[in-house]
Amino acid sequence: MSEIVVDNLSHTFGKDTGDALNVLQDINLTFASGSFNTIVGTSGCGKSTLLKMMAGLFEPSDGRMTLDGEVIRGTDRRRGMVFQQDAVFPWMTLAKNISYGPRLRGASRREQAKIEARWIELVGLKGFENRWPRELSGGMRKRVDIGRVYANDPDVLLMDEPFGALDAQTKERMQAELLDIWTITKKTVVFVTHDLEEAIFLSDKVIVMSARPGRIRHIEEIALPRPRSGEMRLTDDFIQVKRKLWGMLEH
Amino acid sequence: MRSHMKRFAFLISGRVILGAASVLAVLLSYSWVTGQPDNNPALLPPISHIGQAFVVNVTRGTLIDALGASLYRISMGFLIGTSCALVLGCLIGWYKTIEYLLDPLIEAVRPIPPLAYIPIVIIWFGIEEFSRILLISIACFMVCVVNVVAGMKNVPQVYVDAASTMGASRFQIFRTVAIPAATPFIFTGFRIALAAAWTTLVAAELIAAPSGLGFLLQEGRRYFLTDQVMMIIVIIGACAFTMDRLFRGVQARLTRWSEARE
Ligand SMILES: Nc1ncnc2c1ncn2[C@@H]1O[C@H](COP(=O)(O)OP(=O)(O)OP(=O)(O)O)[C@@H](O)[C@H]1O
Ligand SMILES: [Mg+2]
Repeated sequence: MSEIVVDNLSHTFGKDTGDALNVLQDINLTFASGSFNTIVGTSGCGKSTLLKMMAGLFEPSDGRMTLDGEVIRGTDRRRGMVFQQDAVFPWMTLAKNISYGPRLRGASRREQAKIEARWIELVGLKGFENRWPRELSGGMRKRVDIGRVYANDPDVLLMDEPFGALDAQTKERMQAELLDIWTITKKTVVFVTHDLEEAIFLSDKVIVMSARPGRIRHIEEIALPRPRSGEMRLTDDFIQVKRKLWGMLEH
Repeated sequence: MRSHMKRFAFLISGRVILGAASVLAVLLSYSWVTGQPDNNPALLPPISHIGQAFVVNVTRGTLIDALGASLYRISMGFLIGTSCALVLGCLIGWYKTIEYLLDPLIEAVRPIPPLAYIPIVIIWFGIEEFSRILLISIACFMVCVVNVVAGMKNVPQVYVDAASTMGASRFQIFRTVAIPAATPFIFTGFRIALAAAWTTLVAAELIAAPSGLGFLLQEGRRYFLTDQVMMIIVIIGACAFTMDRLFRGVQARLTRWSEARE
């Protein structure tokens, strides 16, 4: 069980200063345990801010969030996050990056090696185990970021535009793999993207936000059957939903 | 792979050749100047005289003794100063409370040149070995601590955030993220400290020391042995250069991951 509830949350950066910035206003959301949720919205509407607060990196200035009824305060390995920026540690080889979380908790060398092998294979970076991050491309580093969070096995996956830097084929492969992992492990996923097709393809629920301050504009339940396959992207149902959501984004 | 090796070899040789060329140019101009008929060798001793001073001091054993004494002081002062700088710098850079507590103090003391402490150190501890090592330690500490603090402050936030969302404790983040991320800064601090150690060493030995390179310099001045003075200057330069190269080597090995330019 890992249900996240966002309860009447507002956030203002620099609240008591001259240039206070109201980023989020009256956000109420429920992310059911084991559900796949995606947030879309124009740049700057506060998606990353919301995700970071769910991770526990800072507290909202108003309202609260709970995980299974417990108020989220501070970070916790139960809530793993793939950051929008590159967060691969440049001083560790690719393999050491992947096994960072288990190593923190004193995993033996053998366990680490097993975890490294499994997740490096899954994110498609076999053969690069002993490379330094500076020797990898941007998209490859993003995949290290993702593999590292998967390998840490959190209950909640917070993913901030994880596939934004990938080419179309790699992106589709990573989407399919994410869905596989999610189907097996039933983690609660909160995903941020600018790609409507990606949002619809992956999610149970797509949340559309409006900007300045960020509010919930619309919540679309995606009824497409699972398991989902690539061809579904071309069906009428799919395109209809896409058209509807597209109209809701501010252009 | 082969072409890689070749390129590397070329870079190395290109670098060494250029470096040697500039040293050679200085030597040639110097010997040209000293070779002029109206040159006074008591003021500008020719290279051969400097070489003779070297041979004389080596055979008398004075040079080895002096070098040993000076290197001992440098190493002790450097070790003590940079160890303190490393510990305090990490604490100041990582823990806000300690920063607020110690930062003003260090900032106020830092601009004082280490040599200004010579009188008080002599009054308190006399003209002892301890005083000289203390002075070098102070000098190393002051220049090194700033770099360590800067290194800690420049740890990118996203790495800290990533580690903490993976369940790392504050201390684990310090050990596995902050320290490695700060190594390039810390090493720069070490190298600047080494330079400061040489500066302070010679000054301290010039004023009061029964041995050491500074002592030989002082002796050279007193008996007007310009060639000995020149020789010691060259020795100091060579020692400082060699040690800095060693440090750079270690630094390059430890920060192979870094994207810094060759
Ligand atoms: N630490 C901060 N201090 C002050 N303002 C901030 C901070 N972080 C973000 N902001 C502001 O909050 C707003 C929302 O930022 P956020 O990063 O959450 O947007 P986003 O929806 O993720 O945008 P994008 O799609 O471009 O990633 C922006 O206007 C930004 O300037
Ligand atoms: Mg963002």
